Amino acid sequence: MKDRSKLRGRDVVSTSVVGLRSRRGRTVLTALGIAIGIASMVAVVGISSSSKAALIAQLDSLGTNLLQVQAASGGLSVQPLPIDAEPMIRRISTVQNASAVIDTGFEVQRNAHDETLVGINALGATPQFFETLQVSATTGRPLDDGLRSMPVVVLGDVAAVRLGISSLAGGPTISIGGHEFAVIGILDKLPLNPDLSRKVLIGDRAAVAMLGVAPNPTAVYVRVDPDLVATTRPLLAPTANPGRPAKVEVSRPSDLLEARAEVDQNLQNLLLALGGVALLVGGVGIANVMVISVLERRGEIGLRRALGATRGHIRSQFVLEAALLSGLGGMLGVLIGSGITIVYANRQDWVVDLPPGALLAGVGAALVIGMLAGFYPAAKAARLDPALAVSGGLG
Amino acid sequence: MTPTVATQTAPSQTSRPPVLELDGVYRTYPGSPPVEALAGVDLRVEAGEMLAVVGPSGSGKSTLLNIMGTLDRPTQGRLLIEGTDTSKLSDRRLSGLRSARLGFVFQSFHLIETLSALDNVATGLLYRGVPGRTRRAMAQTALEKVGLGDRVNARPTKLSGGQRQRVAIARAIVAEPSLILADEPTGNLDTATGDGIVELLTLLNADGSTIVVITHDGDLAAQLPRYVEVRDGRVLSGNNTTTDGATPPGSDR
Repeated sequence: MKDRSKLRGRDVVSTSVVGLRSRRGRTVLTALGIAIGIASMVAVVGISSSSKAALIAQLDSLGTNLLQVQAASGGLSVQPLPIDAEPMIRRISTVQNASAVIDTGFEVQRNAHDETLVGINALGATPQFFETLQVSATTGRPLDDGLRSMPVVVLGDVAAVRLGISSLAGGPTISIGGHEFAVIGILDKLPLNPDLSRKVLIGDRAAVAMLGVAPNPTAVYVRVDPDLVATTRPLLAPTANPGRPAKVEVSRPSDLLEARAEVDQNLQNLLLALGGVALLVGGVGIANVMVISVLERRGEIGLRRALGATRGHIRSQFVLEAALLSGLGGMLGVLIGSGITIVYANRQDWVVDLPPGALLAGVGAALVIGMLAGFYPAAKAARLDPALAVSGGLG
Repeated sequence: MTPTVATQTAPSQTSRPPVLELDGVYRTYPGSPPVEALAGVDLRVEAGEMLAVVGPSGSGKSTLLNIMGTLDRPTQGRLLIEGTDTSKLSDRRLSGLRSARLGFVFQSFHLIETLSALDNVATGLLYRGVPGRTRRAMAQTALEKVGLGDRVNARPTKLSGGQRQRVAIARAIVAEPSLILADEPTGNLDTATGDGIVELLTLLNADGSTIVVITHDGDLAAQLPRYVEVRDGRVLSGNNTTTDGATPPGSDR
């Protein structure tokens, strides 16, 4: 028998579109549920990805090739680094620059009669310090060879605020361990080494000669060839302290910054889960609306059956309607989520980074949710007794 | 009203099976007690006939229509459409059979309101797998046949009741089915408009369409060349002959 019902693929789609078009208000409201879920997920992914991109850009500009060598903390006996740790390290061919610093332990005073400022310490530094950390004094000048043993000081930005010094006008001085030091510069912020903001820098020789501290470095900052960081890093401990390499700790300040960004991962997962819940609720909303729609459209279903639609045709019409409804919501959600990301990233001065995969996944997830939501109502529609449906009767 | 009788020139029944043949059809709805909506119906409709099935509500005529339209299955007995026994056919096959051989006209029109008259008529070919362009061209022709060639782009809401029923009739004939089943086609219309619809159906019949009209309206039935009366699930009376020379009914209600 050659009488076969046949519905062309494009007609499946247009039939479903007709179904949605005839209930516009409801279509938009239902799609909105999905849109909110997708929008929040896209925004979470977009914002975190933009923030990560901004961090990577920041790290790129700061460089990830700055290493910090210091005496291992912990244990009762902290073995100080040898005096010649810096020149030894400098001898490694892949090391571009190195600078030893000595924590004097002295807290500074505005003047000899004032109280000491708790937490603002004097740090003796070799002249290569500024080059190694790639900072220069924002105001004034850095320390150099000629000032290595002079009573002059460069202030970290936080230290300067605490000391109440914002410019070099009038030749400000501070007091360290009873000695007067002339302020010759104020540093800008150091994103990779925020601890240095609370220090005041004096020449290493001045520290030893005037404050009487041991000449052993507390730490050595090392600038390494960017491509050979990994191979250089294991050489640093044995070079700095050949006798007791285990007592040396090597760290990379940029790792800390990165680690801090990773802490946000938990929050991101939480937000994603919330978006997922919204999406699920949206899916349930679609299933709900489709069930109602099937009840209301008995007459249409009966008509289509009378015109020759098979159960499969009815089923695919309703599944596709649900999927289109949800896909529409998905696209709307991607637009809204992208908008939120763009506005937020611009506010933070970040580069907007919207992973295309996430956008596609947003629409795809919506389509899948819609199809799943559509299965039950569609099966209900397909199972309707055509005779009852045509008469519009309930049964 | 004087009914016009179109004399049936029935085709030779040996070469061609009847368009529709009901053979001892029962339809019982389960329940306590079970309701016997059809209790042994035999009926033949030959190609080119126009037949009214008349009966009061509850007589079983709606069930009869559903059975004839393959929307429902007999509990017992057979329905043959152009010689094909439908009792063995799957739901999918029945759908195919409907799409190719049956056209429906409903009391409440069942038009899709967001579609134009043309697109509504074109849905009559939707499940035949006919390409959209062809569907629309055929729908145009069908609309012209029912006298609505100038309203093809109108939405159903912009049409009068009579016009809507004409659109529905165009949809029923667009696939050129072997049999058109019209369920109370004038039920929602005033008398004058209803008469116009009957006239249109008569014209289509004269043009070769086989039409069965289900109605509770004896006057309407009396206008048709042949009618049968259904009561309590049985075909009672009427000028139930398939040959020519049918006497005009009108007094036997």
